Amino acid sequence: MAVIEAADLVKEFSRPAVLEGRLPRLRGLFSTKRDITRAVNGVNFEVEPGELVGYLGPNGAGKSTTIKMLTGILTPTSGVCRVAGLEPSRDRARNARNIGVVFGQRTQLWYDLPLRDSFEVLSDLYNLDRTTYRKRVGLFTELLDLSAFLDTPVRSLSLGQRMRGDLVAAMLHEPSILFLDEPTVGLDVVAKARLTEFIAETNRSDGTTVVLTTHDMEDVERLCQRIIVIDSGTVLYDGDLSRLKERFMPYRFLVLTLAERSIRRVADIPSATEVEPSAVGTVLPYPDRSVVLRFDPREVTTPELIARASQVYQVDELSIVDPRLTDVISQLYDGLLT
Amino acid sequence: MSTADQVRAFRGMTRAGTRSVLIYRGDLITGAVALVIQVVLAIAVWRIVYSGRGPVDGVDARTAVAYAAIAACLQSVLLPWQFSTLPMRIRNGQIATDLTRPLGLIWQVFGQNLGVLLGRLPLGAIGLAVAAVLGALTLPPGWAAGLLSLVATVGGALVAMLCNLIVSMVTFWTFEVSGPLMVYRFGSAFLSGSLIPLWFMPGWLRGSVEWLPFQAQVYTPVSIYLGQTRGGQALALVGVQLVWVVLSTVLLELVWRRARYRVVVQGG
Repeated sequence: MAVIEAADLVKEFSRPAVLEGRLPRLRGLFSTKRDITRAVNGVNFEVEPGELVGYLGPNGAGKSTTIKMLTGILTPTSGVCRVAGLEPSRDRARNARNIGVVFGQRTQLWYDLPLRDSFEVLSDLYNLDRTTYRKRVGLFTELLDLSAFLDTPVRSLSLGQRMRGDLVAAMLHEPSILFLDEPTVGLDVVAKARLTEFIAETNRSDGTTVVLTTHDMEDVERLCQRIIVIDSGTVLYDGDLSRLKERFMPYRFLVLTLAERSIRRVADIPSATEVEPSAVGTVLPYPDRSVVLRFDPREVTTPELIARASQVYQVDELSIVDPRLTDVISQLYDGLLT
Repeated sequence: MSTADQVRAFRGMTRAGTRSVLIYRGDLITGAVALVIQVVLAIAVWRIVYSGRGPVDGVDARTAVAYAAIAACLQSVLLPWQFSTLPMRIRNGQIATDLTRPLGLIWQVFGQNLGVLLGRLPLGAIGLAVAAVLGALTLPPGWAAGLLSLVATVGGALVAMLCNLIVSMVTFWTFEVSGPLMVYRFGSAFLSGSLIPLWFMPGWLRGSVEWLPFQAQVYTPVSIYLGQTRGGQALALVGVQLVWVVLSTVLLELVWRRARYRVVVQGG
């Protein structure tokens, strides 16, 4: 049975309308006209227990609004969402015990207090017994290497340290569902890798269901089996990561490094198009000796293409590169909107 | 969630509030110094005002001086306008994380406020000690009055916190609450009797103040302690506090019920 369900979920925000014409601001004080924005416009999906789902979309797509409805912060305008059988906005406190939430943009830790104090307050809030609390904090301290700054006030922590603290705060009460809203935003490569590794491990070993929103496609490729893409408040794609690539970027790249004395010429190879080396997205070791061919695996098999290419070029090395998710996603955002 | 769980969660919030006061030692010391200066000045001024004069409006010099000193201490512990961070949390969107906790928002804020109040208790104690050294404190007229004034102090703190919370809730609609808070600050400082004892206010003002929730916050406990209000009258004032506690609790619940559908989270 699905652990998270969203059915025709809609959220509208209204704010005082900006008037036009004479003295708009003055008249605005007396106007009751309101502008209504639909941030989430009929979203449907289900998440099974133990899934790790990437919830993606451009800025303003409605990702965070959805998360806020699932965590009980916002009340849906219409439609229903259920998390572990509860309606979050009606049963906020009970829902809170089942879920853990991290908002990358803000912290749930007590700003003035040492990190350890926040954990202690949380153990009171979630009514953890002393043994469980000690065990959990001990475990996380080791896994996320917190010992150096457990007694530092949260306001003096670096972003990476604070994020680790926030992740622990969200998981102290052993929630079965984790909502992570841009947990890696602003982190350096090392901090990010450590965090994503930890999230993956939590999902694998404890079977924790994870819903992750991010703009970082590396995170997604590393973590998610399934992704849901939304824009303008509606779901554009829901399914496998690999199928997404097939559907929106069906081609692959054949990267050839030519032998030193090989003459570089414009060649016409059937079923393949030569493209700029930058299209593959990775740095090529010998850009001036490289030829990048884009091909559709449904039209030509890889060995066949390699055979054709070697007839034209004298090849030193070759490799096959898949399109990056970033490109797929931007293709998806562009293509479906226009 | 069982009541025991809720009590523990509430206590956790209280502890966080107290710790966040005690962690800023510099701030506490400044507060203590400011309070001592205020108490010393208040005592000096009221003594000069009364020098060579008999009772004014039935209030003698000892009572007026003691009132000024105790009211200043009570006010600095209560801080009837400042100890809620709710408006700020609504404005910067921090409210989102509060709403993902297993304790109702009102109880969270209330626990936090109570913690801040407890953390500021030493301040009040220092102020009272200084007043005692200067010979400005008097004893209550009897055990009963002393006890009742303690009850009234708790009542006053409750009324102060509830009113503060209701005013803070306005932020859910306006996102900007410094206007209402300013009015409230003026109201509570002046009309609660912490600046000037309510005895010295003109009759028409006295009459209206009795209909407002402010006098319950400072004037009621202090005037009972000093024996200015006694017997049935004192009980009536505590009764009025109780009415305010009930009324403001109902009002707060109504406001919060509407507010929770208005929650908009700032900044994504």
